[in-house]
Amino acid sequence: MITYDDEVVCAPRAGTLYDVLELILDRGMVIDVFARVSLVGIEILKVDARIVVASVDTYLRFAEACNRLDLEHDTRTKTVPELFGGPLAKTVGKAGAKRATRSLTDKVRDILSPEEHEHAHEQEYENEGRDGPEPDRPRHRPSAERGLRHRRDDDRPRARRRANPEE
Amino acid sequence: MPATEVTSDTLYVYGIVPDGIRPPRTAGVAGAPVRLLSGAGLRAAVSDAPAHVRARRRDLMAHQEVLRELAAQGPVLPMRFGALSPDADTLRARLRADAAHLGAQLDGVRDCLEMNVKGTVVPGYFATLVRRDDRLRTLARRTRHRPDYEANVRLGEALARGVRREARRAAQEVLARLTPGTVRTAPGPTDDEQVLNASFLLRTADEERFRQAVAEQAAGYGDRLALSVTGPLPCYSFVAPRPAADGR
Repeated sequence: MITYDDEVVCAPRAGTLYDVLELILDRGMVIDVFARVSLVGIEILKVDARIVVASVDTYLRFAEACNRLDLEHDTRTKTVPELFGGPLAKTVGKAGAKRATRSLTDKVRDILSPEEHEHAHEQEYENEGRDGPEPDRPRHRPSAERGLRHRRDDDRPRARRRANPEE
Repeated sequence: MPATEVTSDTLYVYGIVPDGIRPPRTAGVAGAPVRLLSGAGLRAAVSDAPAHVRARRRDLMAHQEVLRELAAQGPVLPMRFGALSPDADTLRARLRADAAHLGAQLDGVRDCLEMNVKGTVVPGYFATLVRRDDRLRTLARRTRHRPDYEANVRLGEALARGVRREARRAAQEVLARLTPGTVRTAPGPTDDEQVLNASFLLRTADEERFRQAVAEQAAGYGDRLALSVTGPLPCYSFVAPRPAADGR
């Protein structure tokens, strides 16, 4: 599987608090004489997330994945999970359970690149660690960035899973 | 927005409901009990504001939960997270001054709920694109035979652009199919990855039908566009943020 979400891609995912953060923070009524808490940190997060998506890094991961496609034969016989090595699919259940206890902090961190933005996400989501199981827990956002990274981290050794007639 | 100076009079405001609604049992922001403040035939759900209100997960959820409990009883005008009234008198004065506007807004969302649908690019669709598109397949072949950094970036960019384009096209079609039968729609911000983001105002009775419609779209377009549906929500996207400017 490329991403966690590909597994359920043909059924809509039930959204979480994270999915509607923008509604809670940016919509709803405002009354002029009221003050409003500062949400500066969150605005920074949104911008950062956007920049990461269209990165050279993402392109290289696409290219790498594409270079493992069988271009000369009927690729229809290969499914996407196979192209990406497969084992991640097996880990999804476990990962899902772990995810249940993840906080919004982690969720937001996920959509940022791990290296460059360590400082940014601490600002407003501080100390919101493990509150225990929540009815509205954050889950993964399907992401080219994240999805392809998954594959790379988790199952690189399984690249030659099936015999490739080309090689 | 003015800098927040919280005093012991400061109230955190969740939303506005008509008279006759009971206070929610759910604890509010920072665990404070939520009460209703009456004025001009309306009630505002409030709690004592904590010294520092910040957009923390626990408090975002409390805000949301309070509104959800109120919405179960009748129409609610949700406030944006983090609204603070300096004191109860200011809030009552505001209810009186805006009563007509607020009443009309309440009528607009009566027996309605908000559902939010998002769609993100499915990167795995690139394999289908390469299979289908001669130009991409040629590019992929050439890159494989002469692999270098530049070629890989070019190929990857073409693939990323391709899956995004297909997802955007699917998003347009999904939106067109979900809109009929809803009361109103409100588009939300999209980006290169999240290409569909729309809120729908529905009659409460239509929730199941709407979910079914989303499921059908997911089955049809799921290879290109991963859909998620969130709701029922308080009608955040279907209240006018502020009363029309009239010199107040």
